Amino acid sequence: MNRSPARTARRGLATALVLALPLALSACGGGDTDEGADGTTSITVGVIPIVDVAPIYLGVEKGFFKEEGLDVELELAQGGAAIVPAVASGQYQFGFSNTTSLLLAQTQDVPVKVVTAGVNATEDPSADMSGVLVKAGSDIKSPKDLEGKKVAVNTLKNINTTTTNELVRQDGGDPTKIEYVELAFPEIGPAVEKGDVDAGQVVEPFLTIGTQAGMTDLGSNFVAADPGLAVAEYFTSTSFAESDADTVEAFTTAMNESLDYAQAHPDEVKKILPTYTDIDESVVAELNMPQWTSEIDAESIEKLADLADQDKLFAKDPDVDALLP
Amino acid sequence: MTVATVPVAGTRTERVAGRGRDATLGVLGLLVVVGLVEALPRLGIVNDRYLPPASAMFTELAGQLGEAAFWTALGDTLRGWALGLAVAMAAGIVLGVLIGSVGILRDLTASTIEFLRPIPSVALIPLVVLLYGSRPTSALVLVVYAAFWQILVQVLYGVADVDPVVRDTARSYRFSRLAIIRTVVWPTALPYVMTGFRLAASVALILEITAELIIGVPGLGKSIGVAQSSGAVEKTYALVIVVGIIGVAVNLLARALERRTLRWHVSVRREAR
Amino acid sequence: MRLLTTLAYALALPIVLVVVWWFASAGSESVFWPPLSKIVGVFGETWNADRWTGDVLPSLARLAVGYLVALVLGVLLGVLIGLHRPVRAFCEPTLEFFRAVPPPVLVPVIALFLGYTGDTSKVVTIAVGCVWPILLNTVEGVRGLDEVMLDTARCYRLSAWTRLRQVVLRGASPQIAAGARQALSIGVILMVISELFGANRGLGASIVQFQRSFAIPQMWTGIILLGILGFLLSVLFRLVEHYALAWYRGLRQADRGA
Repeated sequence: MNRSPARTARRGLATALVLALPLALSACGGGDTDEGADGTTSITVGVIPIVDVAPIYLGVEKGFFKEEGLDVELELAQGGAAIVPAVASGQYQFGFSNTTSLLLAQTQDVPVKVVTAGVNATEDPSADMSGVLVKAGSDIKSPKDLEGKKVAVNTLKNINTTTTNELVRQDGGDPTKIEYVELAFPEIGPAVEKGDVDAGQVVEPFLTIGTQAGMTDLGSNFVAADPGLAVAEYFTSTSFAESDADTVEAFTTAMNESLDYAQAHPDEVKKILPTYTDIDESVVAELNMPQWTSEIDAESIEKLADLADQDKLFAKDPDVDALLP
Repeated sequence: MTVATVPVAGTRTERVAGRGRDATLGVLGLLVVVGLVEALPRLGIVNDRYLPPASAMFTELAGQLGEAAFWTALGDTLRGWALGLAVAMAAGIVLGVLIGSVGILRDLTASTIEFLRPIPSVALIPLVVLLYGSRPTSALVLVVYAAFWQILVQVLYGVADVDPVVRDTARSYRFSRLAIIRTVVWPTALPYVMTGFRLAASVALILEITAELIIGVPGLGKSIGVAQSSGAVEKTYALVIVVGIIGVAVNLLARALERRTLRWHVSVRREAR
Repeated sequence: MRLLTTLAYALALPIVLVVVWWFASAGSESVFWPPLSKIVGVFGETWNADRWTGDVLPSLARLAVGYLVALVLGVLLGVLIGLHRPVRAFCEPTLEFFRAVPPPVLVPVIALFLGYTGDTSKVVTIAVGCVWPILLNTVEGVRGLDEVMLDTARCYRLSAWTRLRQVVLRGASPQIAAGARQALSIGVILMVISELFGANRGLGASIVQFQRSFAIPQMWTGIILLGILGFLLSVLFRLVEHYALAWYRGLRQADRGA
């Protein structure tokens, strides 16, 4: 130990400082509304990369939001469940979420408010955006055979389980005997194919990918719950709805225009899908399109609330009137 | 977890020769594993949808190197790791020296540290998802939490290791508090700090990748999750190999740094627990 | 009296922290930071008998099985590899690589073979993640053994088994314990993570389920429970280690006393 410990220590300190350097690289963005110099308002909307949100992408492309003075940034979230807290805490001003999640949020006092419709199911159980896949030649021939089987869904205790339960119930089966497991949508098809699960509830494009791979679709759980089911909505936080009523109104107007436009122009929807999803062209051509409408179907939402209630998802009764605009 | 390597008996040349032989054997070992991974799926012993041949993995890996998305993901991962580690280092060292040098603070915080330390930082995943969604902040919180305790505890051991006689002497010579820390406490604690750095560096990488994989924070972990769920098996393995190489690099770097800083100190050093 | 002081020191800060949390959060309107009183209030009903038998215990059982498999495999292979220098040199870089792969990325890889659902893939995930620190530390511990001691044991014609138990395992046990401790914290992480894919029940799955259904106070109870379990496991580990390494402590104390 001939060398001075102090000098070595100083070098050690320098090492520590070098290690701390990357601190300076810190960067994390927040999403606040900014009134731009040109009078436009910047908003961030949380969406998930699925077919359902095609209208907002179309609307941005067509300039519907610009017309209303909105500069929209679309942020892709991992899942609908991550969007609700982000909107409630003000990271996003608006978000897209399925109806059951919004009802659940409301019963837990998460302050959210629907602004307009999001996406609706079709009326045709054999040509809907949702379905239950089983392997070709499976002995599960109809929904009631799902009793006692392992079924994959993308979120437990949510819209997909309550509507699948309804599908089984209507077919005369006992849905309480289904064992649900949670898998991400892209995993579900392969898991069914491998026999890891007996069946899987999916939405487009995974329904078409599955049927193209030879799997059988037992029928649409959304249509079973209610033809034209109000599957999802665009929403904001209650505080933002009060403090920025003008922005909310502008967003609602532009969004409604986008929804109607998407419904009227399915070809343009198919063209915009590859810009924000990885869906294969051969799949896009075969997709079962959902329905888009600017009308909120309150009855359908009540129906979903009843189904969730039946499966004991709620700690207390949801207040549908308070949730809707 | 290497304790100071036991010197191999023999002359210097013999030692060098032995090390050369070891290195050759090690490379051979790696080659055998690669060969096995190549052969098993080729011979149909393992389904190549689950384990593609090694050549396919490396081809995919080479292809990845030409993709901008790969480098972005790599950068995201490394930045998140380094930032989290730096924050944890800074906080761990400052708090560790402070708590360690003041007896009453040490006594007061001991039980709390012992309680908070083993809490798995993955327990915080749901909370950060609520608060930050899939933004890098989520990963940062998890990385800092996990790495911080490793460093803090090591620093505390280090400060406790200071010779009381030396400290008292310094005090009687009227060294200022800061001077004592710089000249007496820090040199003693340094080896422990480096051990803490090495442990924290690998834990930080684990948590960074976990956050990316589970929460979807941008980075290599997220790319692995996406590759796996879209059935890109070769890419999944290629990225796992990249992450493994990063892990090895982190370990080597930390060890080298440790050795460099502590050349004068090896005799004192013992894996603190 | 001294015991009382120690106890006072040990309890003072935790009590202060809980009290601060309690009052700071008392009037909290924020959905994500519910009052502590509310969290404590729902703890009992959340973690009822059904949750313990259906979620918590199965999770812990998977952890125990995976961890023990890793421990046995790690020590066995570690001794085999560590005792022979060429084998060690042959394996070490490969093992270092596998150790350096962050264990959570194993989940998607293991899922390729075993699927996501079911206990097997989860137990395998835990075992594969835990084995590397134990294995490498055992190798390291065996390598550091005193050659003279090994030769002496051979001279005294101790049987291979006795040699293994009395000399090799004993000598390497401080290192093995250090590896086992690292492995335990990795095991707890993997116990949670393996349940985030393809799970329907389990401790980790429940917490995420609470988060997804916005049952925030319940989610907090889960985080706290997981924290308590992590703490208890480390206490349990220390107890086991205390007895297993009693001889080693005695030796070190003797060393220092000298």
